Amino acid sequence: MGDVLNRRTFLKSGATLGFAIGVTGLLGISRASAQALPRDVSGWVSLSPDGTTHILFPSTEMGQGGSTALPLILAEEMDAEWDAVTVEQLHRDDRAFGNPLFGNVLYTAGSTGVSGYFDTLRLAGAQARAVLMRAAAAEWGVLVAEVETVPGLVLHGATNRQMSYGEIAALPDIDLSLPEDVTVADLKPASAYRLIGQDCPRVDVPAKSTGREVYAIDVSVPDMVYAAVERSPFDGVGPASYDAEAARAHTGVLDVIEVPDGVAVVAARLEDAFLAKSSLDVTWDTPTPEQTLDSDATLDAYTAALDDPNVERAIWREAGDASAALKAADRTITEDYRSDYAYHGQIEPMAAVASVDADDLGAEVWVGTQTQSWSTYTVTETLGTTPDRVRLNAMTMGGSFGRRTALRQEYLRDAVLLSRTMRRPVKLVWTREDDVRSGAFRPAAVQRMRAGLTEDNAVSGWQHDIATPSVISYFNPLRWEQVRPHDIISVRGSESQFYDLPHMRAQHVITPAHARIAPWRGIGASYTSFAAEAFMDELAEVAGRDPFDFRMSLLGNNPRGARLMERVADMAGWGGAASDTALGLSFAGYGNSMAAGIAEVAVDRNSGIISVPRFWAAVDAGLVVAPDNARNQIEGGIVFGVSSSLKERITLTGGQVDQSNYFDYEVLRAMKCLKSRSTWHKERRRPRALERWARPWWLRPSQTGSTP
Amino acid sequence: MAILTINGDTIEVNAAPDTSLLWVLREHLGLTGTKFGCGVGQCGACTVYVDGVATFSCLTPLENVTEAEITTIEGLSKSGDHPLQKAWIEEQVPQCGYCQSGQIMKAAELLAQNPQPTRADILDHMSTNLCRCGTYNRIVKAVQNAASEV
Repeated sequence: MGDVLNRRTFLKSGATLGFAIGVTGLLGISRASAQALPRDVSGWVSLSPDGTTHILFPSTEMGQGGSTALPLILAEEMDAEWDAVTVEQLHRDDRAFGNPLFGNVLYTAGSTGVSGYFDTLRLAGAQARAVLMRAAAAEWGVLVAEVETVPGLVLHGATNRQMSYGEIAALPDIDLSLPEDVTVADLKPASAYRLIGQDCPRVDVPAKSTGREVYAIDVSVPDMVYAAVERSPFDGVGPASYDAEAARAHTGVLDVIEVPDGVAVVAARLEDAFLAKSSLDVTWDTPTPEQTLDSDATLDAYTAALDDPNVERAIWREAGDASAALKAADRTITEDYRSDYAYHGQIEPMAAVASVDADDLGAEVWVGTQTQSWSTYTVTETLGTTPDRVRLNAMTMGGSFGRRTALRQEYLRDAVLLSRTMRRPVKLVWTREDDVRSGAFRPAAVQRMRAGLTEDNAVSGWQHDIATPSVISYFNPLRWEQVRPHDIISVRGSESQFYDLPHMRAQHVITPAHARIAPWRGIGASYTSFAAEAFMDELAEVAGRDPFDFRMSLLGNNPRGARLMERVADMAGWGGAASDTALGLSFAGYGNSMAAGIAEVAVDRNSGIISVPRFWAAVDAGLVVAPDNARNQIEGGIVFGVSSSLKERITLTGGQVDQSNYFDYEVLRAMKCLKSRSTWHKERRRPRALERWARPWWLRPSQTGSTP
Repeated sequence: MAILTINGDTIEVNAAPDTSLLWVLREHLGLTGTKFGCGVGQCGACTVYVDGVATFSCLTPLENVTEAEITTIEGLSKSGDHPLQKAWIEEQVPQCGYCQSGQIMKAAELLAQNPQPTRADILDHMSTNLCRCGTYNRIVKAVQNAASEV
């Protein structure tokens, strides 16, 4: 009787069962009152008496679908009922559950979410399930070995009893010790998956289909005022003079305040802040000569760097003796490939809200971010405070593509500085023009490809030199100290490890940055794979061989890759381009995943405009956790890549960005949208990088159909 | 002081006559389902209905719409179950989702004009609205899915 009463009392108080997770699996189990807000609960997973399983999501959401895929992996092993799962963003810089692939920094980039957290989440889910089974067995007085689970329930078949997960959470006495006997060997075999590999709808789609999703730019807090910033075109170059009085004369303007690299106008209304900003008439201090180069001059300088032995070089990947192989080759072929600066073009411009505490040593901030860690760092550095004083709200992002990854996030920093000065919450919003002209771009690059061919037209040596700045040294100097001189963001893709190239060298010729730069979708692979694959076609032509056969001859030790090539060639009908079109083939790897693609390219003979009516892709990304979403990412990546290849280009004149909005930085519109088909290799073991197939597909027509 | 009719409600707004409808909706009235993308009628994220016509709210001064019936994504269907919204969910269209309010408003205009649009009709009509995540092909599927429902 007393037991029942206790239970009722406990149910009434509404306890939850919380599970804290670290990279090694469960760290601790706790009970907490349900009155505690979800963000106060220490557990990463909390189970309420009503059966709701609340799962914190450690990555951030920019459209890639991680907010569904990661909780789903945990729910799979926990045997939680997916319909009873609620997902919440992790807002703290809690390194206990950072991304194992980024040294436990909370960082969402590089297609590492699913692959990085896969083992941790499965193990934690299995441990949570073991705790629930142990609790139910104890309550029933039976052996744990005799109980099993179905989604949301523990069963004891011998006595035909069952207890829901919610009922277990409400049990008055639960053994909160960590289960010690759960290992990777206890995880479900892939054949038992009921969530992984199924098309569970994304948790964020309903809100995004009804206008209810809240992005940083949508946040409104009491007593908030608005800020617009006229940003310097030159990194680190502040204002020499500006007309503060003209700006102050506008209706509603509260203050004009200098921030690093800019001048801010704070007003009661956003429209007033924007209007007043346009009358600031800022003259900037003198930039360095390098900062005032035209982008073509930068490309020329990077070309010169390829020939200059004094420029720092860093070997990225080396196998065998490329120099000797090139020297011994029957013929050597050399080609240079230039690629422009590219803009992220996410539709939500940079925005942040900050509310600094009265003592100036703490703040609540709302910002779209790919990294809770570095957004927190930005605030602590700006205020000279400690992370415990930062209340971060990591908002879902209106696209990001690498833009919101920096150690020091200027839009967030400025919002914090302005709130501190104004002594009230400030919402800072960039215009599209601010976002383009003050963008941080994929760096310009010049690549030199060299290869040797034998007498019988086989590739005997391969050298890939990439003259481009170090993105990491620019956007995250702390990280650069750890990895220097190896910059994965600048040169990824050049490793070409999926081809048989026994004598190869890929090296980074580290050039100075002449503009603000950042990671961009696909990072280095967006240009290194373009150069490598375009060059592969050049070699095939020199060798007098079909580009498909030529590549296949380099895939003898890569049956996965060869399968993808055969599959895509079959889908596209390689060898039979439609009249007045050409087919272009590409194959590349990213991390441990790989893909083959074929583009159909057409030219309008009157206008000269090139288009891509169709694209086929075959992808091997290992085990696919969320197939429908994966397909959406691949389709979107193809559109993004075609857009990049056909239309996008940032140029600088005198160091200033020539483009300003979507009319002069065009991204692909629906009317130019191609039809695409994608497939993937079915693998049941483990996930590999996928989102990066959301990457620029290089286009080079190499197989031309008949022309009239 | 201006009087607006938004989603069937009559609302008083204290803003300058040349203020863009976008800022009135988002910042004065908190109707943030309508998004700011470019400010110059190039991306369509701010698309709303003005008297049944899909309109860039960023280019629409307040003074031009005081007599009009304005509908935003919040008012397209009060419970978020417009056939297009259901189709958007069924086809799992959104990725980042930021442009999708505008896409849905633009698509609603198309279905009102053309209940059985072809792929080409849809792509042509939707070309005012950018999607950086590249969901255009899913938008086509969702519009066709919704067209078969209405």
